[in-house]
Amino acid sequence: MPTKNVTDERLGKFKNKGKDPAKLREKRISECVELRKAHKNESFMKRRNVTLSSLPDEEALSPDYSTDTVMVFSIEDIIKEVNSDIKEAQIRGCQAARKLLSQERNPPLKAIIDAGLLSRFVSFLVMDDEPTLQFEAAWALTNIASGTSWHTQQVVESGAVPAFISLLASPMLHISEQAVWALGNIAGDGAASRDILIECSVIPALLARIAPDTPVGYLRNLTWTLSNLCRNKNPFPPLSAIMQVLPSLIQLLHFSDKDILSDACWAISYLSDGENERIDVVVHTGIVPRLVELMGHDELSVMTPALRSIGNIVSGSDLQTQAAVDSGVLNVLPQLMRHPKASVQKEAAWALSNIAAGPCKQIQQLITCGLLPPLVEQLTNGDFKTQREAVWAVTNFTSGGTVEQVVQLVRCGALEAIINLLQVKDAKVILVILDAINNIFMAAEKIGETDKLSLLVEELGGLDRIEMLQNHDNEIVYQAAHALIEKYFCDPDPTLTLNNPTPALK
Amino acid sequence: MRTILTAQFLSLQTFESWSDEHVCERLTVSFHPILTQIYCKAEKFLESVEGNQNYPLLLLTLLEKSQDNVIRVCAAVTFKNYIKRNWRIVEDEPNKVSDADRTAIKANIVNLMLSSPEQIQKQLSDAISIIGREDFPQKWPDLLTEMVTRFRSGDFHIINGVLRTAHSLFKRYRHEFKSNELWSEIKLVLDTFALPLTELFKATIELCQTHATDVNALKVLFSSLTLISKLFYSLNFQDLPEFFEDNMETWMTNFHGLLTLDNKLLQTNDEEEAGLLELLKSQICDNAALYAQKYDEEFQPYLPRFVTAIWNLLVSTGQEVKYDLLVSNAIQFLASVCERPHYKHLFEDQNTLTSICEKVIVPNMEFRSADEEAFEDNSEEYIRRDLEGSDIDTRRRAACDLVRGLCKFFEGPVTAIFSGYVSSMLSDYAQNPGENWKHKDAAIYLVTSLASKAQTQKHGITQANELVNLNEFFVNHILTDLKSPNVNEFPVLKADAIKYVMIFRSQLPKDQLLQAVPLLITHLQAVSTVEHTYAAHALERLFTMRGPNNTTLISPAEMAPFTEQLLNNLFNALAVPGSEENEYIMKAIMRSFSLLQDSIVPYIPTLIGQLTQKLLLVSKNPSKPHFNHYLFESLCLSVRITCKANPTTVSSFEEALFPVFTEILQNDVQEFLPYVFQVMSLLLEIHSNSIPSTYMGLFPHLLQPVLWERTGNIPPLVRLLQAYLEKGAATIASSAADKIPGLLGVFQKLIASKANDHQGFYLLNSIIEHMPTDSITHYRKQIFVLLFQRLQSSKTTKFIKSFLVFINLYCVKYGAIALQEIFDSIQPKMFGMVLEKIIIPEVQKVSGPVEKKICAVGITKILTECPSMMDTEYTKLWTPLLQALIGLFELPEDDSIPDDEHFIDIEDTPGYQTAFSQLAFAGKKEHDPIGDAVGNPKILLAQSLHKLSTACPGRVPSMLTTSLNAEALQYLQGYLQAATVQLV
Repeated sequence: MPTKNVTDERLGKFKNKGKDPAKLREKRISECVELRKAHKNESFMKRRNVTLSSLPDEEALSPDYSTDTVMVFSIEDIIKEVNSDIKEAQIRGCQAARKLLSQERNPPLKAIIDAGLLSRFVSFLVMDDEPTLQFEAAWALTNIASGTSWHTQQVVESGAVPAFISLLASPMLHISEQAVWALGNIAGDGAASRDILIECSVIPALLARIAPDTPVGYLRNLTWTLSNLCRNKNPFPPLSAIMQVLPSLIQLLHFSDKDILSDACWAISYLSDGENERIDVVVHTGIVPRLVELMGHDELSVMTPALRSIGNIVSGSDLQTQAAVDSGVLNVLPQLMRHPKASVQKEAAWALSNIAAGPCKQIQQLITCGLLPPLVEQLTNGDFKTQREAVWAVTNFTSGGTVEQVVQLVRCGALEAIINLLQVKDAKVILVILDAINNIFMAAEKIGETDKLSLLVEELGGLDRIEMLQNHDNEIVYQAAHALIEKYFCDPDPTLTLNNPTPALK
Repeated sequence: MRTILTAQFLSLQTFESWSDEHVCERLTVSFHPILTQIYCKAEKFLESVEGNQNYPLLLLTLLEKSQDNVIRVCAAVTFKNYIKRNWRIVEDEPNKVSDADRTAIKANIVNLMLSSPEQIQKQLSDAISIIGREDFPQKWPDLLTEMVTRFRSGDFHIINGVLRTAHSLFKRYRHEFKSNELWSEIKLVLDTFALPLTELFKATIELCQTHATDVNALKVLFSSLTLISKLFYSLNFQDLPEFFEDNMETWMTNFHGLLTLDNKLLQTNDEEEAGLLELLKSQICDNAALYAQKYDEEFQPYLPRFVTAIWNLLVSTGQEVKYDLLVSNAIQFLASVCERPHYKHLFEDQNTLTSICEKVIVPNMEFRSADEEAFEDNSEEYIRRDLEGSDIDTRRRAACDLVRGLCKFFEGPVTAIFSGYVSSMLSDYAQNPGENWKHKDAAIYLVTSLASKAQTQKHGITQANELVNLNEFFVNHILTDLKSPNVNEFPVLKADAIKYVMIFRSQLPKDQLLQAVPLLITHLQAVSTVEHTYAAHALERLFTMRGPNNTTLISPAEMAPFTEQLLNNLFNALAVPGSEENEYIMKAIMRSFSLLQDSIVPYIPTLIGQLTQKLLLVSKNPSKPHFNHYLFESLCLSVRITCKANPTTVSSFEEALFPVFTEILQNDVQEFLPYVFQVMSLLLEIHSNSIPSTYMGLFPHLLQPVLWERTGNIPPLVRLLQAYLEKGAATIASSAADKIPGLLGVFQKLIASKANDHQGFYLLNSIIEHMPTDSITHYRKQIFVLLFQRLQSSKTTKFIKSFLVFINLYCVKYGAIALQEIFDSIQPKMFGMVLEKIIIPEVQKVSGPVEKKICAVGITKILTECPSMMDTEYTKLWTPLLQALIGLFELPEDDSIPDDEHFIDIEDTPGYQTAFSQLAFAGKKEHDPIGDAVGNPKILLAQSLHKLSTACPGRVPSMLTTSLNAEALQYLQGYLQAATVQLV
């Protein structure tokens, strides 16, 4: 008797309901347009005026380093000095240029470029016997590369890339570090610049500097540069480059320094922000348990990118998600859902929404780990961005969960919470909620409790709200609301609550 | 005039020969009130030439240059309509506006709009937004910059034109889904528009200060501020833009300032229409609510200030209708904020709570003169608002929501504060009822909103605030009003009292409800429409309540003393002017019949007369669908209740009803036909196996194709034809045999449709079951051919299920051999194909106990009474078929539906037609064509197998043991044991 097969197959059909399960998951759209301020928590793409960890004694480096207050150079002076044939003048010019470029407000990046000084600086980079000049030129170029994309382009086009890569091997640590920093700025500019660096074999040169005795400060800058080399999509960094970087990143992820951890996590988050094949590469390194551990890190700057990475991973396949679940992500999420910072709650809810889009086995684990109460708390009292993710979690949950699981969700107060959210000023969220309500009704149908659910929805004020949505300006919202009313709120015994014998026309 | 015009129509050959004046005349004609007859012609003419190049430009020239203002406005309206009709480029359709015209229009229209007087400006602004919807931003890149430049003009007539246009361009951001395309557009708009808008906002506010004493200037400036605030709302709706986050201080400080601003010059005398100040403040409340809801983190520093400002605003705003929107928006803002845990502290203080209750909630719950007017003169509207909850934007509703919001954290204190108010309002009333009756109204409303936590139509309030003693209030304050001897005194309070009983019905003890029933019956006599409507509604609701054992809470015996008065008062109320088609009363009549059952029989002769008269009346012009529905339900109940006691009375109903029905059929009253067919079915089904000639006379008319065109007719007509077949198959065969092709024609039409095929099968099954065999013999093969054609053209799960039931019914009726033969006569080996491809794999999908039983008996017959199953190539299908049958008995039903079939019903229902309105009390009981002939199909299978095995010993057991799966075999052995037979 094929009883088992028959029911299993049916269950499968119910769960997917003709949809590709992958589509249920809300993945971050690649390169989506943002109206908001750039995310405050994310790491910087470019940096200026980083303190070098390895700066030697200032006096030894340049005699007038500390007396910059007296030296006031005009651009014209600088041009003259830099273009001079005398080493001392060149050094003076470079130093003056770098100082001018380091000022907080409106550094004259363009003026220096227009003066044609870039190729001159680049030519200084290769003068291994003039470390001071090398250093000052590198610093000046770094500051220019920290400008807009156009500024960075000029640095790249002046041929600085191979020169900086060579400088990485400099025996003088502070010069090498300056090169790391410059390269980081170039890598952070975008996919194109990043790939130019990769083609010039920047990665082996960088990795060669990681050694047991490398100072932590240096490693911080290096990790940041590596993270920029992993950054940006369209296109992603080439797979071969990623394979080169990953082992070292994994190594860095086991450090205890929070800045190194933070940037290494950001790197992983960039690498995992993409198609499932990309996620696979990360998962296969076996780093997932460590990432889950770092999700519980005390430092926001570490926890945020770790959470982002895990969020990306659980947006992947069921198998990839399972790797995160097996590493205990569901034990960490409840505390993150209740984190005092709204942005953390939001990311946690996003991760949860993707786990809820999985098979009912994973949904069960989610229930077992006690995620329903914090989910409902967020739906009820959360920040709007968190509520939006939490609503997605409910809809995914209700479309893939078993009837028992859906019943449990409703018992925890999720239905009441999403009904209250129907007054939210966001058409998409409303539509997603209507979808969830529809899913819950379909579960109720399976156990013959549609009428009970209709009454419950009405008691919770849901019927009023859904009826009101029939006036919504968004056509699709109107249709979804109308369909729900038609299907579940027109009593089959019309004599009991006949409200609408003729269909309402808009 | 008309002749001249005609002449011109003829003389106009080409567009080139045409000048402005021609258009001019046409336009004047089309807008001149006296010339309405010519209007259509002129308009048609203009539409007929609008495809010509230059036409829109001509209109623009006309509206710019004409001296005649009427012509200018006409040209503007015509232009806008032209744009509306033609601008959009629809795929696969020709471009209706030439590219040159498009470019020229876009180049000139903004200027033209801004330099035109307001009347024309509005039309052109609409036109711009229609064009913008299609072309902006890609195909109209300079629109925004052109508009922004005008901000600097300093001319607020122009500025408001720009703002209005921008508003109609941007307002879709409020309801569209997030998409990259949309957000790119918003980003572009923000880049060019946000800064100038902010500058304009600041400048306008400064100007308001410099012109604080110039009323005309202020009016223009405040219109600008309102438009700017609306634009703010649209631009901030999707997400918080970086620009506005950076400039939040500027915007919020100024919004806050405007909220607290008052200027006597801007106050209006009009009581109804909201003035500029109100409109602006309303919009600012919306803006604050948007930020509080969506951008709480960023808005938090500003929120307390807004709470205070809005609260002060509420305290100082009057009761006039013109403030309604503002007050309701403002209260909703407070309601949404006070529910949030981190703002709890803003409301926590006892003084704050008291003052919100006292100054915000109580005043907005008061019964106003506008409510009083509605109560008296517009009862329908009043009832809709008060009873059905269409009071979304009212002050009372907003105040109620605020009470609920506050109760989330402060239920105890709020209840205590209000209790004090309720007592004092009630004592005001007690001291001088004539003067202070409104105080009691407010008290009742307050108690209601405080007490109700959850409510449904079906049960009233289902969860109440435990701190409110509903019972005590009922006894002390509600019952007293209900008992007052003069039902027409203080009708509002009477209506309140009745409503109280109705909505708290699930919370009040039964003895109190019973006490209320006769009082409610008395109130049916009230003159006030609201009052007697509420009484009818309350009774209707009480009668639906369920007690223990799922019987009605109120029994017919308990109603016995009041039956006559109840019926009298209900029907009398229907005679009160204004309540002639009162749906609540009609529903109460229906419900009373349903509750009282046998006790209404003595009154039926009188009542049926009144009901048919009502029916005759409303059939002249059916306008109240609910009323009509309950009227037909009441008719059905009369028939059922009376005929249950004495079936022969059916003829008296037919006598009473048929004249009206005939009229309805003759006049083709479309809304009523489905009802009439249902009542006729009900009547016909009561007859014992014969059919009166009155019905037979109607039979040919029921087959008219026109009736079957309307989807609403199909279910009740099929049911009626089924009743004809059940009662009169022999009569049809003998005296109306020429109608059989017509009958089958209906079947053919129905099965061709995916939406109606199951109805076609109902009809077909009745034909097979009831028609004498001979009468349909020569149609049989044709029937099967039609079914196969449909199977081939569009096979759906629903069709397959019905098809399976049909062929098995056929098998039960004519035998398995007949079934096999008819298939094989269509095409050799067809029977095997049907078994293999349809019956075996799909029978698990059949739903419904009767349908399953038919299939079980049919398949049993195929297995055991069809020789070709034993001795031909069909034999290999024998065990799989048996296994499928055992599956049908034992496995859960397969209710899966292929993905491509989810939307069948929609696709097959063309347009909107009167929906089929099913009458609950015309319902028929399920028909089982097999009936008691087969009690248990499993036993039948066992016995039939036993019989088969004795006929050919040895074969059955060997087939079973070689290929039936073990689990199935086990079930089968169970059947054999239960039937106490053995296979040999």
